[in-house]
Amino acid sequence: MNLQIKKLYKSFDDIILFKDFDIDFSEHTISCILGPSGCGKTTLLNMISNTTQPDSGNFMGFNDKIISYIFQEPRLLPWKTVLENISFVLDDSLSKKEKDSIALKYSQLVELEKFNNYYPSKLSGGMKQRVAIARAFSYPSDIILMDEPLKALDLRLKMNLIKAFRRLWQMDKRTVIFVTHDIDEALLLGNDIYIFSKAPVEIKRKFVITEKERSLHAPSFLKLKNEIWEQMD
Amino acid sequence: MNIKLTKNKLITTLSVVLLIGIWKLVSLSYGSELILPPPESTLVATLKLFIAENFIATVGLTILRGLIGFAVSFILGIGLGILAGGNRSFHAFLKPILVTLRSTPVISFILLALIWFRVDMVPIFIAFLTMFPFICTNVIDGIKNVDRDLVEMANIYRVPHHKIIQKVYLPAIVPFIFSGASSAMGFGWRAIIIGEVLSQPQFGIGTAMQTAQTYLLVNEVIAWTIIAIMISSFFEMLLRRVERKIVVWR
Repeated sequence: MNLQIKKLYKSFDDIILFKDFDIDFSEHTISCILGPSGCGKTTLLNMISNTTQPDSGNFMGFNDKIISYIFQEPRLLPWKTVLENISFVLDDSLSKKEKDSIALKYSQLVELEKFNNYYPSKLSGGMKQRVAIARAFSYPSDIILMDEPLKALDLRLKMNLIKAFRRLWQMDKRTVIFVTHDIDEALLLGNDIYIFSKAPVEIKRKFVITEKERSLHAPSFLKLKNEIWEQMD
Repeated sequence: MNIKLTKNKLITTLSVVLLIGIWKLVSLSYGSELILPPPESTLVATLKLFIAENFIATVGLTILRGLIGFAVSFILGIGLGILAGGNRSFHAFLKPILVTLRSTPVISFILLALIWFRVDMVPIFIAFLTMFPFICTNVIDGIKNVDRDLVEMANIYRVPHHKIIQKVYLPAIVPFIFSGASSAMGFGWRAIIIGEVLSQPQFGIGTAMQTAQTYLLVNEVIAWTIIAIMISSFFEMLLRRVERKIVVWR
């Protein structure tokens, strides 16, 4: 079954972000939400993760889902090492040994195994965000929410992280909802791309990308990029 | 960087030498041991104190009083600080008490304590009243400074409440506890000695200073002062060491 949000209403003070808003997300797919700053993309993620309450609306299929969240900032505990930060979110019913081996596996998958015992203060911004990605995947979630996690990084690091992310994602194809305002990120990562308008939000258009190999220089992608550009305010 | 470090050390040494030089000059100009003894005779007096009868009891009891006062302040300060940090109403209740304690002159506490308590208890009581507010206030600030984003992260990942307190809140306030403990100690030692001067317990640095002053043994008063400074710096250093051992993530 798909994840559906129906008749969503949400305002902050005088600003109406969502008014009778509907959206469907396919499961086991990376859905990208592209939209201007301040349109309510983050608020939507926060309502899905239950950290913000909607004024009203139905969230169908979300109830029993376990959620991982990759934030704009890495949000690592400064007093915990790379491995400890990953295992921090793991359930305490697991033994320490089991948690360690899970953390080890995911730190390897994001290529941080040489830094397992480093504290975040000793890591670069890209490395910290990789720890956050490893943490999100090591957590046995059904849905991964991402709020512009690549925003603060330079292009080369971005490409690196996108690669790392896709590699991890291929393993169990979890449902991902990824918010960004960067078209390239959406093209490289997304399967479904939703273009949001300014608040109150409407979906201006939905694109579906089926290609597995992504290149920003391929003619088909350049064409798509132009089409998306035209949709955005 | 190493050159800079040695340069700074040189300047520090220079400052100490200058201070002693001025001391020597002033004492020469008075020319009287009764008003200001020269540094060398003070040094001799300090060394003599170390081998004097009752030195261990005098210094030991002052330190013991300080440590008892500190331990009580530490435990209550952290306990009440955590409660106040987590609960607005309790903070509102505690705030006027903390403000009063911090702004009351130490001498008022001492004069009242002299009336209320046994002589031995006065310095401990003073130590507690001066140290407790520092530690408590710092713990409250520490909790207010806990990164809400980290707490939100932990909540989204359904980390249980007790684990959030233990692994997110507690480590976050550790540096605040140390800085509170350090200011508390700085003020505490001074307050204890004033308390001892006025309450005159059988043994104590304050008692010894008061006795020396009565007999116009100025070099001995300064010698005890030097010992008090040494005690204070020793504990400051100890705190820094422990902090470096615990706060390894910086």
